Amino acid sequence: MVQTEYYVALSAVLFALGGIGVLTRRSAIMLFLSIELMLNAANLAIVAYARQWSAVGAQHALDGQAAVFIVLAIAAAEVAVGLGILVAIFRNRVSTDVDELSEVRA
Amino acid sequence: MVAFVILAALLLVAGIGVVTLRQPVHAALSLVGAILALAAIYVTLEAHFLAAIQVIVYAGAVMVLFLFVIMLLNVGRTRTPSLTWLKPAAWITGALSLVAVVAVVFVVQRPLPEFEVINTALRGGNADAVGEALFTDHLLSFHLVGVLLLVGIVGAVALVQQSAPAKQAQSEVSAAQPEDAPELVAAGEGN
Repeated sequence: MVQTEYYVALSAVLFALGGIGVLTRRSAIMLFLSIELMLNAANLAIVAYARQWSAVGAQHALDGQAAVFIVLAIAAAEVAVGLGILVAIFRNRVSTDVDELSEVRA
Repeated sequence: MVAFVILAALLLVAGIGVVTLRQPVHAALSLVGAILALAAIYVTLEAHFLAAIQVIVYAGAVMVLFLFVIMLLNVGRTRTPSLTWLKPAAWITGALSLVAVVAVVFVVQRPLPEFEVINTALRGGNADAVGEALFTDHLLSFHLVGVLLLVGIVGAVALVQQSAPAKQAQSEVSAAQPEDAPELVAAGEGN
């Protein structure tokens, strides 16, 4: 059995990768892909901790997996709405470069 | 440990691909690879139901949505090179998978183990156990997620659809881009 620490470390590296993607890419689609990567990294950490809990025989060992299920559903909703916004923006200005979409600033 | 190292390496390579690849399509396919590797890691963590859901929902539904939007946004801008090797490669891959499936079905005659054996082997996170946690302790969150998904559907449709006057204007003026702008502003104020 691989220790939980390794899974959490893997999750942290993946989360950092996604964060780098969010900060460095300019196309909105690439931002979404990187955000998906970060969500998946968080899910990996939760599942690893759920396994740890069930290994020590905790009462609600599967709460973590239920949480991941809910995160999956939320990610699906986020993608649907986010890509809808993206299509609407693209219709108006034929670009998804987030640096050009700065009119909303106060 | 060996399986973990292999899967972790696959996951990290795919993740680096998502962040660094130039073409959005390549990055999206790389994310599919990362998601499949993650599903395999879920299996090693005894979360079998989540692994299946990960493949179906993420690699299936969400990534298809991504690829459709990338396809929609890239129309007429990128020129795809003609891939002459693609068709034979597709035929060969299909034939090989068919041979593999037929071989497994007809050559390997081992019967499935008893239901009880399977159930205890999957006890760490089968649909039964996760469903019980979801429908007892987390019933409220489950219902809220259902409402959220409904809101997501309605929001996505409302964002993407064009209202009737705007569509008429678009059909009258062939250059459609400026015509949409007032409609979007009005919709934003309504919300």
